[in-house]
Amino acid sequence: MSKPPDFHFFRLVARNLGNRPYRNIATIFAFAIIAATFFSSQYLMSGAQQSLDAGISRMGADILVVPEDYAGAGQTVILAGTPTSFFFEDSGFEKISRIPGVAKASPQIYIATLFASCCAAPVQMIAIDPKRDFTIAAWLKENPGLRLGKDDIIIGSAIIQNVGNDLLFYGHTFHVVGVLKQTGMGVDNAVFTRFEDAYVMAEESGQKAVKKLIIPEEKVSAVLVKVNPGTSPAVVASEIMAQVPGTKTILPNGLLNAVSGQLSAITRILYGASLAVTIVSVPLLGVISAMVAHERRKEVSILRALGATKAFVVRLLLVESFSLAIMGGCIGIGVSATILVLYQDFIMHLLKIPFIIPSLTTILVQGGSALLLSIVVGGVSALYPVIIFIRSEPYESIRGGES
Amino acid sequence: MITMNSDKVVNGIGALLVLLGIVIALTSWFIFPVCEMHGLYVETKSGSQLPMPCGYTARGETGVGALIVVAGGLLIARGTRETRQTVGVFCVATGALVILFPTVLTGMCRLADHPCRQLTLPALEILGIIVIIVGGYLIWKRE
Repeated sequence: MSKPPDFHFFRLVARNLGNRPYRNIATIFAFAIIAATFFSSQYLMSGAQQSLDAGISRMGADILVVPEDYAGAGQTVILAGTPTSFFFEDSGFEKISRIPGVAKASPQIYIATLFASCCAAPVQMIAIDPKRDFTIAAWLKENPGLRLGKDDIIIGSAIIQNVGNDLLFYGHTFHVVGVLKQTGMGVDNAVFTRFEDAYVMAEESGQKAVKKLIIPEEKVSAVLVKVNPGTSPAVVASEIMAQVPGTKTILPNGLLNAVSGQLSAITRILYGASLAVTIVSVPLLGVISAMVAHERRKEVSILRALGATKAFVVRLLLVESFSLAIMGGCIGIGVSATILVLYQDFIMHLLKIPFIIPSLTTILVQGGSALLLSIVVGGVSALYPVIIFIRSEPYESIRGGES
Repeated sequence: MITMNSDKVVNGIGALLVLLGIVIALTSWFIFPVCEMHGLYVETKSGSQLPMPCGYTARGETGVGALIVVAGGLLIARGTRETRQTVGVFCVATGALVILFPTVLTGMCRLADHPCRQLTLPALEILGIIVIIVGGYLIWKRE
């Protein structure tokens, strides 16, 4: 006679779950939806926040000063890198560096490059003064031995070219010496060059390019400002606007508000959806649990009659419920994370927000909290059958179904 | 107590493979169309228009999708253990091809704002992953 297999608690759990595949698949699906919606909302918010942090840290400035009429365009350059060209009406930007509280001021010229062919879209060229710049200075410090020389460019991560190769703008050949890290913001679509090279490019463009580029003498597009330590950027920004007429200042907080505004609709929908799904799922899962409880009365009573304690039955029911919640939660988080990572470009394009994939720690924390929510919902929905089984007597339950 | 019949499961997987094959074949042309379906072509110096890399990927995916349909049909027609395992290995290989065509073999356009990069590429990657998972299940399934 063959020896019966040893009793294992988790084997019993697996058998019980496998005996009701359709119902359990539906329950797993409900948990997956709860976890997926909750995880997606958190993922989008943190992706935008981390992108903004990385982009602002790359910009390295406390204040961006742009011409009054081009505040929106300036913001778009920083957030989305939409190519644009604009200039201050006069050369008064020199005054900015003399305003109290300003530690450093670095002028920049924005040039939108031309549309070349099917696979070369226009990019935002940013001309800097290497002596005064602090936007790519930090990056250059991280890469010792690298310098922005004549006709050299440093490109954003979204520009398709490798270090050592050339790129042509307005008929002028530039040499790629470095590629910046991805930030998810406009700087990814930007190309950095020196003032001198930008002026030469503009001069030659009449002969070499299909359209002549005009850069007005002594005029810049924006001034990046770093304030003295302990000084409020908001106060300095107001002072700049008061002392240099025709200017508008953009602060990192303002950018954050703009992005939050763009994101708020979608996150409200996602958080609302996860709340609605949770609220609907708890009673729904409760009803399923109640059905299971009535269906399994005899089964549980036989277990009790065989010597299983009440604690064992409670543990069995809770572990079954938690298993479904964990399976559903993991599937929901896995599927939503895959879709969100793979469709990152589309999400950025659709929502018009800066976005990078959040750090692994952030993703793990968000996944953990979504999984915890599923487990809590699973625990709450298992309460009713647990109470029924605790109160029932095995003998009555077995006889209960007989007429 | 309801348990799933093994034959029904195999037939269901066969039908799923047929559906996946059709979706893979159609994705690049109709569901998430590649650039040439949006009127974007590479223009040569002589003025003629050629498909972009994503266009060649779309053609490759149509072929791979058709092969997956055949594999699904084979599984429905003859669901023996040997067939299941052969179709399983075949699905893992074709699923990998579904992913490799747009990422390595022919690739997609390199610009992030092209429709093939934003929609077709992720859709094909997800479909490839599903085909690989189905193939893995068929190899693993013993009964």
